[in-house]
Amino acid sequence: MTEQAEQDQAPEPAADAGADGDAILAVRDVAKHFGGIHAVDGASFEVRRGSITALIGPNGAGKTTLFNIVTGFQRGDRGEVVYDGASIFRRPPHVIARRRMVRTFQITKALAAMPVIDNMTLAAPDQPGEKLTGLLFRAPAARRREKEVHERAHELLDVFGLREKADDYAGTLSGGQRKLLELARALMVEPRLVLLDEPMAGVNPSLGRKLLDHMHTLRDRDGVTFLFIEHDMDVVMAHSDEVIVMAQGATIASGPPEEVRNDRAVIDAYLGASVGT
Amino acid sequence: MTPLAVSLDVFGSLDFWIGVGLLAATYGIFTLGLQLNVGYTGVINFGQAGFMAIGAYTMAILVVEAEISFWLALPASIIVAMAAGLIIGLPSLRLRADYFAIVTIAFAEIIRYTAVNARELTGGSQGIGGFDGAFLDLSDLMLDGLDSFGLGDQFLLPLLIVAVVVFGLLTVGMYFLQRSPWGRVLRAIREDEDAARALGKNAFAYKLQSISIAAALGAVAGWFLALNLAFISPTQFDPLFTFLGYAVLILGGLANYFGVVLGAIILWTLLEGLRLMDLPLDASQTAALRYVLVGLVLIGLMAFRPQGMLGKRQEMVLGD
Repeated sequence: MTEQAEQDQAPEPAADAGADGDAILAVRDVAKHFGGIHAVDGASFEVRRGSITALIGPNGAGKTTLFNIVTGFQRGDRGEVVYDGASIFRRPPHVIARRRMVRTFQITKALAAMPVIDNMTLAAPDQPGEKLTGLLFRAPAARRREKEVHERAHELLDVFGLREKADDYAGTLSGGQRKLLELARALMVEPRLVLLDEPMAGVNPSLGRKLLDHMHTLRDRDGVTFLFIEHDMDVVMAHSDEVIVMAQGATIASGPPEEVRNDRAVIDAYLGASVGT
Repeated sequence: MTPLAVSLDVFGSLDFWIGVGLLAATYGIFTLGLQLNVGYTGVINFGQAGFMAIGAYTMAILVVEAEISFWLALPASIIVAMAAGLIIGLPSLRLRADYFAIVTIAFAEIIRYTAVNARELTGGSQGIGGFDGAFLDLSDLMLDGLDSFGLGDQFLLPLLIVAVVVFGLLTVGMYFLQRSPWGRVLRAIREDEDAARALGKNAFAYKLQSISIAAALGAVAGWFLALNLAFISPTQFDPLFTFLGYAVLILGGLANYFGVVLGAIILWTLLEGLRLMDLPLDASQTAALRYVLVGLVLIGLMAFRPQGMLGKRQEMVLGD
């Protein structure tokens, strides 16, 4: 009831953002507070299908919390998140992931005590053998799927230069390799939208470039949409089609990189607000 | 015999090995469930003795009080134990692993105290017997066959054969289940629940399945415990027995079902051997010495082979 009422209060940003009809993700007036702290407070934006969109903002702007709300890891207090035409607001993470939206984490979550190949095959959708009933009654289908999944996993490991590591424990990989594995694993989900939380953090420049190249290839070839949080402005300016800027829990600007770079509110947010705002 | 000599005669007797085998198989099946929860799902279950009690008491009560066929009471007791697993898991599996552990130990104690106090149903601390008639018929049949090998007077041997066969089948079954895509999801949840959820796995549903299957294994172990003594009473389901299961688990190694087999055999050879060995000590001293020795073995293991006999050291180090 109250949720409904709160949604009605917020038609403005929704109408504003609804200009482009081909949005894969629309976030409307989302808010989340922890006690008295408003981590996210009225964030609204859209992500165009097939784009590489960056989400930037000073530390504590609420970027990761917003990611968590969009992907279901935290429940927002109010607002709406529409993905591919359907609401996913407050849905559990696994349900959202099954709709082919997949995320990575700021601190990589490689499944350390599992081999690299198992990290990959785990992520594949539609494996009947993941259900006990499927194991009992659809064993041949499960075996067939497992074969497909292994082939796909090896292809991706080839692409990401991790083929030799397939049978090693993921915990033995370097930090940069883990980032690559996490992206490769995310791709096993056959995603339409990938959310990356600081993909470049702690990655050496050459691996980082590789990661960015993969992102462009996947967008150009497979039409995968990317939304990524990043602090390195050179990367953001050079590699994104759109930039969304957050400060103090709210989205304060969005648009092409050149435009956002010169936005007064953005400069204020990064350099400290000028007197009187 | 000189008063200070230690006699090892007991290790030469068939009776001894039948007893050890029965206990190893019973608590081996019991520990397969712990391995599934702790070793493969990362769920800490301290209530396995409670599920064992539910299995044993349901079977006994259905046969003695409700006069249902023993062979029907067996599957019924599994269903009741699994339902109990779901009831425990539904409200508490969303908690962090350590809180869930506390809930399970409380659950097991509730079951045990209920068994002590619901005298009309369970016989209270006097216990309950007379449920094994149908099994003894089968046992007699098997003894007739064993007679031709000169083993017709080993009246626990048929139960041992059944227990070992069931233990073997369940171990191999669990091994293959773990190698399936289903088992892979469990391991992912053990490693990092959030990562599994981000990849579309319903971690909660898998943890519920894990605890229910462990409960079913506990119930099966409960049958063998009951049949071994032809009698059950609440003290057989003390929390101590859950921790003996953990001793088996640690001895054999985490995340390896065959480690459970090895661990169960070693632990029960040790425990029964010390109980029956002719030591120049009185009974209470011997009883205390058993657990002192188990403790020493575990300490030695932690120092020299923390991953257990068949566990993988790498998985242990990388797990953090």
